Amino acid sequence: MISISPKALATGSEPLIKTPLDLNNLSPEQVALDINKLNLYYGKKQALNNITMSIPKGQVTAFIGPSGCGKSTLLRCINRMNDLVDDCHISGEINLHGNNIYNKHVDVAELRRKVGMVFQRPNPFPKTIYENVVYGLRIMGENNRRRLDEAAEQSLRSAALWNEVKDRLHESALGLSGGQQQRLVIARAIAIQPEVLLLDEPTSALDPISTLVIEELINDLKKQFTVVIVTHNMQQAARVSDQTAFMYMGDLIEYSDTNTLFTTPLKKKTEDYITGRYG
Amino acid sequence: MAVLISSTRSRSIKNSLAKWLITFGGISVLFTLVLIFLYLLYVVKPIFESAKIESKVNISLQLKANEKILATGVDELQELVYEITDAGNIDFYHLKASDPQAKTQFAVGEHSFSAYLLAGDDFKQERVVSIANSFTANKLLHTASGKTLLVQPSFYAEYSNDIRKIIPQVNYPLGQGSLVIDEQQIPLSQLAFAMDDEQIVFVAFTDDKRLIKTNFIADDEFGSSSNGDDVEYETNYQLIDYPVDVVDEIKVTPDLSLAFVRSGSTVRVYSLTDEEEVSLKATITPTLNDNTYLTAMALLSGSSSVLLGDSSGRVSQWFEVATDSGRQFKQIRAFTTGNSDTNNSNANDDSKNKTSKAIDAIYTEQFRKSFYTMTTSGMVNVFYTTSSAHLWQGQLTSSQPAAFAIAPRANGLIIIGNDPLDANKRILQTFSVHNEHPEVTWQALWQEVWYEGYPEPDYIWQSSSGSDDFEAKFSLVPISFGTIKAALYAMLFAVPVALSAAIYTAYFMTPSLRKKVKPTIEMMEALPTVILGFLAGLWLAPLMEEYLPAIFLLFILLPLATVLTAFSWHKLPNKIKDKLPESLAPILLIPVIMLTTYVAFALSPQLEAILFNGDMRQFLTNDLGINFDQRNALVVGIAMGFAVIPTIFTMAEDAIFSVPGHLTNGSLALGATQWQTLVGVVLLTASPGIFSAVMMGLGRAVGETMIVLMATGNTPILDWSIFQGMRTLAANIAVEMPEAEVGSSHYRILFLAAFVLFIFTFIFNTAAEFVRQRLREKYSSM
Repeated sequence: MISISPKALATGSEPLIKTPLDLNNLSPEQVALDINKLNLYYGKKQALNNITMSIPKGQVTAFIGPSGCGKSTLLRCINRMNDLVDDCHISGEINLHGNNIYNKHVDVAELRRKVGMVFQRPNPFPKTIYENVVYGLRIMGENNRRRLDEAAEQSLRSAALWNEVKDRLHESALGLSGGQQQRLVIARAIAIQPEVLLLDEPTSALDPISTLVIEELINDLKKQFTVVIVTHNMQQAARVSDQTAFMYMGDLIEYSDTNTLFTTPLKKKTEDYITGRYG
Repeated sequence: MAVLISSTRSRSIKNSLAKWLITFGGISVLFTLVLIFLYLLYVVKPIFESAKIESKVNISLQLKANEKILATGVDELQELVYEITDAGNIDFYHLKASDPQAKTQFAVGEHSFSAYLLAGDDFKQERVVSIANSFTANKLLHTASGKTLLVQPSFYAEYSNDIRKIIPQVNYPLGQGSLVIDEQQIPLSQLAFAMDDEQIVFVAFTDDKRLIKTNFIADDEFGSSSNGDDVEYETNYQLIDYPVDVVDEIKVTPDLSLAFVRSGSTVRVYSLTDEEEVSLKATITPTLNDNTYLTAMALLSGSSSVLLGDSSGRVSQWFEVATDSGRQFKQIRAFTTGNSDTNNSNANDDSKNKTSKAIDAIYTEQFRKSFYTMTTSGMVNVFYTTSSAHLWQGQLTSSQPAAFAIAPRANGLIIIGNDPLDANKRILQTFSVHNEHPEVTWQALWQEVWYEGYPEPDYIWQSSSGSDDFEAKFSLVPISFGTIKAALYAMLFAVPVALSAAIYTAYFMTPSLRKKVKPTIEMMEALPTVILGFLAGLWLAPLMEEYLPAIFLLFILLPLATVLTAFSWHKLPNKIKDKLPESLAPILLIPVIMLTTYVAFALSPQLEAILFNGDMRQFLTNDLGINFDQRNALVVGIAMGFAVIPTIFTMAEDAIFSVPGHLTNGSLALGATQWQTLVGVVLLTASPGIFSAVMMGLGRAVGETMIVLMATGNTPILDWSIFQGMRTLAANIAVEMPEAEVGSSHYRILFLAAFVLFIFTFIFNTAAEFVRQRLREKYSSM
């Protein structure tokens, strides 16, 4: 079923070696998203307090923190999925290419094409595997069979699913295993070539082996996309991300490169969390 | 420990109690359903049973030498039977033993009463040569010297000590003297007659080859006194111009309008209604095979059909049919006896004479369209005309009987045959006939049937009429069709409205408004349909008739106005929109809809004047040739649509609303608009539920009774037109069940209609469940 290369196991367990970026002084070309003084309220309750951070391009940024800290809420702000929530008010800005996505004239559908999202639970549509992958292209009006086929194959290859499903592209997606479904959903998200890919606890509903496959996939994806991942699994954040932001009670407590955050955290709260005193 | 044990015990008692209660409940529901099903079948079953004829009583009759039996008859309850001999004797015999408590005791077959009919001065020990029968019990005795006597054997019931006793009686409606039928008083070789209270019509063929018609017109009323001595009447003699020297048979219809005169294989039909002249109305010459000739003729009950039997054993039915060149006699259907028909066990085993299949006589029942044929070899066949059914075949007597009679209620036969052992003895046999529902066959229920007086075969439902000899028309096709038509028109109206409402409420409406709207629509379901029915029949139907153009205008204007309002709301500057609450948008539609409706109705008269010369109804009927019923499919579609909308709405709304949020989110996160998500993901995922909702609505529309009862006009016609009414199975049962006689064919057919309705809903529900399961397999959400 799922083949795991020795490399996957190796990279999964080894910390990545790289030069950390200076997150406070990124040049404009290095920035994918710029979050500025973002406040979010559910009714009267404030869920995000004055968040300001820059998410670098072509890297994996992880949001960690205990349940209810606002990490998923922040992620959902980036493609305005919170718009669907009643009584949700937002102030501040999130800039994509220097344009505030909360500007009144922004076409939300267009924004979501640029900022794709994968949810906690695999959510393939009740259609065939093929139709799931090309769904985003079809709603954009692409009907050329050849181009759809190409995009489907490419996305499924990128999502490391092609070999498993190439013989049953026209069978229901609901027949796939949980891990395959989640990779299918990733393939579906990248088929429309977004700039940013938001992953909201993508492995929390999966078994360890599927998790490993997805983690390896995330490493590959950052070559093409800026990846933002929310996880409650610190080991996962440590394994896959380049930068990590630790959030607590709606505040961004600490944001630095992953190595630093996990080895020498600056804040007491961060240390308490990563050493498992709460969470 | 003790506490623990007792709590486990009480829990296990509760558990098993609940288990048994639930099992019992489930099984009793199933059992009740099966019981209903079986009861329907039990009531319906007899109509598909074949006829049975069973021997009951044999009486040996002693006759004088050279005495012959000419006629026989029986009372309605089959307690007394009589025979008339050529010597002029009538003898009554008991068919039922006396009640043990009765004063006078008698046994089965015991002689009861005798009379000498030719006691009048005109008859001096003469011999009767022929007896003519009318449709009632009247007998016309004709003697060798040309004298004629009208005799009426009758029965009345007497009660002594609460015991009913049937008393025989012989009446002479015109007195005991001879009637003058031929002015020249020449003996008659053929004689037929029919009578009612005012007239008696005789048609006869004299020995000197004249065909005559004689008319007795009562001054007062015939039959007012039992001995008829003081009855006065006028006599009117007419000679009929007849081209042939031989007459084999004459029949006069009971309504005194027609005479059928058969000479060989040609039947001439004379109209008797004109008192001055008897005119030839038609000549019937059936096409017969070589060496075949007509042998018998009989009139079917109801006086419109004549039955002609030929020497090959075939019987054809003829009646008048409207054609381009006026009303003409046509052969409608023919009855033959199959060679390999089942030989009934009652049949005598004498088969040496079986070779001759020629029809010797045809006997018809008094009230129904059944008839019996007797071949020259004594083989009896029973047929029913409307249903073309061959009901029975068998040998009841070893040879041709001397006399044959059908009991008045058609539940018995009297046959008098020769005694093979004694030439001076006759055997009177009675048979019970079980032939309750001859008019019902699969073919009569579901196929086109050529009914008497109709120009062509047709599907007709007409279960009752004013007269007794009416031909019941039991085709289930028009009412099954009506059921489907009503349901389809209702669905045509309800499905778009209910589904749009469901989609809007589940998917676009703000949750706070949804909380109010949904229960409101669900409340509509509790509205008694009888209210919708009478509103539709008494308010909507006349309103629509008056403002017909407005109704059609509304179908165009309402969607248009809705879309326009939505569009202008969308184009409203954000500054204003932000100040108004989101939930205002749908509420804004209410005045728009009211205004549009008002405009449509206000425009209606002008529109009618401009487009339809002032009256759309007249225009439809006169210019377009479309018939318009006030209570039509349009009214039913709207009224029943309203009844069905809540059902479809509630289920479809639930299905759409329960599409998991993560699927819609997944679609939206891919940059799909709300609309794309709705079409591409939400409706697809909800399709099993939406399909069930529509099928539930259809099931409800099929079974709905009160609305169709009150708003369809209940006309059982086969017409898809939106301006025509219909009659549905459910409404038909509701309308006719109170008037159907328990146990009659009509009653059982209504149960059959209920069974068909049951099957309809069963098929719809099964198909719906099947498709829904398939869809759910395919599109179920996780």
